[in-house]
Amino acid sequence: MSDITASPANPPGHETSWGVKILGWVCVLFGAVILAGGVWLIFLGGSWYYGLAGLGLAATGVLLNRYMMEAIWLYLVVWIGTVVWAWWEVGADWWAEVPRLVAPTVILILVLLCIPALRRHPSKL
Amino acid sequence: MTRFVPLAAAVLLAGTLPLQAQQATTPDTQQPANGAAEDPSPTEDAAVSPPPEEQATEEATADGAIAAAQPPREVGSDWPYWGGDAQATRYSPLDQITPENVGQLEQVFTFHTGDLPKGTAEGKYSPEVTPLKVGDDLLMCSAMNILISVDAATGEENWRFDPGVPNQAIPYGATCRGVSVYSNPDAAEDDACATRVIQGTLDAKLVAVDVETGAPCEDFGENGAVDMWQDIGERVPGWYAVTAPPAIVRGVVVTGAQVKDGQAEDAPSGVIRGYDAVTGELAWAWDLAAPDENRNGPPEGEVYTRGTPNMWTTAVADEELGLVYLPMGNSSVDYYGSNRSDAENEYATSLVALDATTGEEAWHFQTVRHDVWDYDLGSQASLIDYQGTPAVLLPSKQGDIYILNRETGEPLTPVGELTDLPKGEVEPDFISDTQPVSEWHTLRKDPLEEKDMWGFTPIDQLWCRIQFRRANYDGFFTPPSTDKPWIQYPGYNGGSDWGSVAVDTDRGIIIANYNDVPNYNRLVPRDEVTSKPINEMETGESGGANAEGAADPQAGSPYGISVNAGWRNDLTGVPCTRPPYGGIRAIDLETGETLWDRPLGTARRNGPFGIPSFLPFDIGTPNNGGSVVTAGGLVFIAAATDNLFRAINIETGETVWSTVLPAGGQANPITYEVDGRQYVMVSAMGHHFMETPVGDEVIAWALPEN
Repeated sequence: MSDITASPANPPGHETSWGVKILGWVCVLFGAVILAGGVWLIFLGGSWYYGLAGLGLAATGVLLNRYMMEAIWLYLVVWIGTVVWAWWEVGADWWAEVPRLVAPTVILILVLLCIPALRRHPSKL
Repeated sequence: MTRFVPLAAAVLLAGTLPLQAQQATTPDTQQPANGAAEDPSPTEDAAVSPPPEEQATEEATADGAIAAAQPPREVGSDWPYWGGDAQATRYSPLDQITPENVGQLEQVFTFHTGDLPKGTAEGKYSPEVTPLKVGDDLLMCSAMNILISVDAATGEENWRFDPGVPNQAIPYGATCRGVSVYSNPDAAEDDACATRVIQGTLDAKLVAVDVETGAPCEDFGENGAVDMWQDIGERVPGWYAVTAPPAIVRGVVVTGAQVKDGQAEDAPSGVIRGYDAVTGELAWAWDLAAPDENRNGPPEGEVYTRGTPNMWTTAVADEELGLVYLPMGNSSVDYYGSNRSDAENEYATSLVALDATTGEEAWHFQTVRHDVWDYDLGSQASLIDYQGTPAVLLPSKQGDIYILNRETGEPLTPVGELTDLPKGEVEPDFISDTQPVSEWHTLRKDPLEEKDMWGFTPIDQLWCRIQFRRANYDGFFTPPSTDKPWIQYPGYNGGSDWGSVAVDTDRGIIIANYNDVPNYNRLVPRDEVTSKPINEMETGESGGANAEGAADPQAGSPYGISVNAGWRNDLTGVPCTRPPYGGIRAIDLETGETLWDRPLGTARRNGPFGIPSFLPFDIGTPNNGGSVVTAGGLVFIAAATDNLFRAINIETGETVWSTVLPAGGQANPITYEVDGRQYVMVSAMGHHFMETPVGDEVIAWALPEN
């Protein structure tokens, strides 16, 4: 999915992978929203999960935008942390797991789909 | 922080109830002649009272003041009372349909009332109607009070009578939960109106028509109607409306009315009135703030005490004891109480037992002290035998189920007391720091926590968590606040609402469906309130389609009220709390223990932004409407917002049959028999507040004929 729009005029490995870029910006955007709300929630005495997860998601987005493979590892950490936290909060209450696990898992799949593109791209530091 | 005190205190409290009752029933010099000879003590009165028919007939013939009591009607082939039998148990002895054969049910007929919203009634329909089945006929009212008789076997219309209720009379929803019938034992069988159908209307008329022809009863009121606006005060359409079928006991038609919530402290009275079932003349009035003074109506030029708690739901009556049991609501201003009178505080959210022939109070039992949460008693109480004692079973919106002695009001099951409840900052002197709870059984769940917040994604869930943390919430009975919103859980929809509970008296099982949703509320300072009370609106201006309390002015009090009913996310419409939002439960009548408990309602019609998800899972939706239980071992119920009508095995709680309704099934079903064939029936007419599609159908199912 990642490089169908790559321009043949560019040298290999240097074309823009729009899939990665879009996902990167989506992660930045949603990560920032969750981070902001999460910080607010922390100040209100609530759960720290959203602040941390928002930060992780935004950082994943930044890394994706730079075609860095670390994005995958970072998001895996975020996702595994999410699963552990969700299980700790509500266990096997599957309706309660819907908001906790569905969207993060969709993001996880999309992030994993970026692996081929990230392999081809040199990282932009 | 709240703790249960072993109930010495409550037992003491209960012990004082009959005392209060006796004090309240001091004989009155203006007592109606027929009650004059009776002892004012309710207990003794009951103990020495002769059998009902005898006594009632005696009274009727002695002075001719009140119509005679009608002979009791049996539930079975008929469904003669709104609650099934006279005890309102919603239990039918019919057993043709069983868990084994229910899967073969087929639709026999569907009847269209033809009453669909027109013009300004659009978006305000919530018919909630449950037909009666008497003899060969189904007797029902439509949303706008058109009385209709339908052949119970074929669904063909016999007659209809339209009392011409205007759209502007719709208070909050166009609702007519049902009708009542009265057979005059003094009339010859072929006399006009020997048996009559009686309903209360949205424009507050009591209407009586002949059961055979639908012709208005000429002997009843004026041309078959009694104007209940009499002695109420300024006539404002929609402010004062009847939505529930009246109780008819000892020849007296007993009714209250819905006073539109949240409008003004200076609102129509919540007076309960008894009318002669034949003549429609006022037999008595019970004005809780002036019970003796206004027993025969207020003095010339005056009105019943304004703004008192009302009864918008259905009463149940004990013909033998001659008592009628009134589930009372609150004063019109639900969420602020400092201006209420002592009498209002005494009777609000109480079950009140009145002598049906005199209107004198026998006892009352209060379920919320100084209610500022709109926990009106919405369920009809049921009359049961509890371990050998005639009892009345009372469900509440808080989810508590009480069982009281029918004669004295004394609790037969343990009543606990919450203490050290928070008093808040708005009116700490008014808020009660103690409240009664049932220790026998409650449908209420544990208090909410942040982790109970929900959504479809982490973002809407996060937003709800922020709202949770920003609100005042100290658990059950968190007092109203204005600086921040407060969370009310359970919300005003219950627990148990008007659908009430069903009691399988043979198996000893209570079937209770319930809601499990909070409200997110805020008291709005007067200078921020933009809405006007209904009496200050131009004709036809009344909004009405809003959820109750969404933006009510509460004129006269320092605050208006903003209620987010069901606490929905402002962006997506998705509830802020996790499912289930409603359930159904079987309770052992002997022990009060839960036999089974399950979510009620699938996710098929629900989803974000109002998009149906078509998910067949039992998510547990909000529900409105009750159930029927049968000797065949089935619970029939619609009620949920998934538009399904289903049969549940009463022993296991499993759904054994379901069918899709053409509109919302927010009504109580019935079951009856014609020529040896058992039918089940429910109306599919939708509900604006439950957001289900509107319809006009009454549908009957039965097993295939051989």
